[in-house]
Amino acid sequence: MNKLLNKPLKAFTMYALLILALSIPVYYWVIDSIWLNEIDVHNQTIEGRIKDGFKNIPLTENEITHVINVWSQIQPGVKISAVSVSNIRKDSVYETIRPNTYANETYERFRGRSTYFYIHNKPYHLSVETNVEETHETVIAIATVTAVFFVLLLLGFVLLNRKIAQQIWQPFRNTLNQLKIFDLNSQKPIKLDPTTIEEFEELNEVLRKLIANNIDVYNQQKQFTENASHELQTPLALLKSKIDLLLQDKTLSKTQLESITALNIPLSRVSRINKNLLLLAKIENHQYPNEETIDLNQILNENIDILSDYASTGEISIDNGIKEPVMVKANRHLIEIMLTNLLVNGIRHNLRNGILAIDYQASTLMFSNSGTSPLNEDTLFKRFVSASTQSPNSGLGLAIVKEICHLYGWKVSYRFEKNFHHFSVSFS
Amino acid sequence: MKILIIEDEKELAQNMADYLSAENYLCEFAATYAQAIEKINLYQYDCILLDLMLPGGNGLQVLQLLKEKNRQEGVIIISAKNALDDKVSGLKSGADDYLAKPFHLPELSARIYSLIRRKQFNSTNSIEQNELQIDILAKTVKVKDETVNLTRKEFELLLFFIGNKNRVVSKSALAEYLSGDIADMLDNHDFIYAHIKNLKKKLSDAGCGNYLKTLYGTGYKWEI
Repeated sequence: MNKLLNKPLKAFTMYALLILALSIPVYYWVIDSIWLNEIDVHNQTIEGRIKDGFKNIPLTENEITHVINVWSQIQPGVKISAVSVSNIRKDSVYETIRPNTYANETYERFRGRSTYFYIHNKPYHLSVETNVEETHETVIAIATVTAVFFVLLLLGFVLLNRKIAQQIWQPFRNTLNQLKIFDLNSQKPIKLDPTTIEEFEELNEVLRKLIANNIDVYNQQKQFTENASHELQTPLALLKSKIDLLLQDKTLSKTQLESITALNIPLSRVSRINKNLLLLAKIENHQYPNEETIDLNQILNENIDILSDYASTGEISIDNGIKEPVMVKANRHLIEIMLTNLLVNGIRHNLRNGILAIDYQASTLMFSNSGTSPLNEDTLFKRFVSASTQSPNSGLGLAIVKEICHLYGWKVSYRFEKNFHHFSVSFS
Repeated sequence: MKILIIEDEKELAQNMADYLSAENYLCEFAATYAQAIEKINLYQYDCILLDLMLPGGNGLQVLQLLKEKNRQEGVIIISAKNALDDKVSGLKSGADDYLAKPFHLPELSARIYSLIRRKQFNSTNSIEQNELQIDILAKTVKVKDETVNLTRKEFELLLFFIGNKNRVVSKSALAEYLSGDIADMLDNHDFIYAHIKNLKKKLSDAGCGNYLKTLYGTGYKWEI
């Protein structure tokens, strides 16, 4: 993943590199042109002076030859030589590279001007040459300077980028942190700090609305579950009482009575699902505030007593290995529900002549019951997803256990080992 | 015996009254808070069945009124709101019992029976039925003056049957009576058989008449 600001940084860097690279030949061309232009003017001036000098100083032919010879000896930049008329050409400007014996460098570039003139009607050739910086030296110099500037630019970009990322994006990061800690279940609306940057303020405004909306919808949904469950209780009561009443009807046949009795089973399932949904809604709404320190083992034994008949029909033996009181701080009603659900789960999904063993060690309560194959761990604690194919159930028992554990920050887990299903609740 | 059913669901109120009529209870109805107050001010009852959510007022206010008037009626709260707070505040406000909807009618009948007994005989009472003698307080059963040793659950089942005599009681109602709220979490109620079988055997061994009839596929009936 790339950081947002690194994207333009990369583009800026590439663009700067391209422009600076292009600037090298352009700079070279500009500097060289100015340079050559200047030298041409310089050469022209020298040429003019020499021509004027010969014109103004009256010299004999022998003296002229002598002066030219001396000149050629001591002034290497300027050459004057007698030429025949047939060799006269137009004035020209030329460049040459040749060894420079007076400098360390072996080869140097020279810019020269070649012209022809007459002294006493005899034609002479005059050439003026000036040393010019070589192409490669200029290019290297420009490239070096450009590279230095590029590095400076890059450093500037990175530093500015970092500064911008820290300062300008601060409100964005604040918002992000607030969003990270937001928990729909806690019902606390998040507080987004106001910012002077228009885009971020707009984002915050949208988020505020979105969150307020979400909380509303969530509340409505929870309220709906609770209301629906409440509303269902009365028709369920009506159905149940009607069945009880119908059983008293002496005019009904035996088969009719049996059918009516059979209605009790689905009816009790509906009423259990309803009760459980209501319970889940209430746990999520934090409607069980009264916490007290209670002995888990005592509640466990009470429930084992109630469930012992049910266990004995499947010839399942319940063995509670806890001998000492186990104190936990929680709502008594929720603890009862959690333990009952775990017990019923252990008895119900057991084998005939199976065992349900309960133990408490290292702050962990463990229910172990006989079984043949592991259950689907992914769906085990989910609502309405039965992890077993053996018997139908409301699929809410373990979801409730999980929700209660979640409420108190306990950890519920499952593993299958040596033909035993182990459900454990860790209180630490 | 006079019972006032304060319940806005008329059909449910009628079902309760129909079931209870076998016990020779005379039921009157109040469907709103105002009607309930009116009836209570005019008449005396042996037992009041009170729904907490009433049109025009809260059932807890009815309890308050009964308390202020120092009335002696036994009150059983019947509520769709199976909230613990309601149960606690209801019982604190002077209700004698609490039954969450949905419930089995035999459960209601047994609770009314036990409540009326408690109120009438000032907590020291025994039930006599031909050769059978039940001391509710001491939790002992005698047949022809011979003590029958019943387990706690068998004793409770016997009381339940007595409170629902001459009416058919389903296995599911019995399971709910014995296991309470847990009953509808269980996938079968077969554990009832063992208790019924033992209860029947113990009673007949002691020379008690065969009052407890099994209606196959339907339930049980205490016939007298």
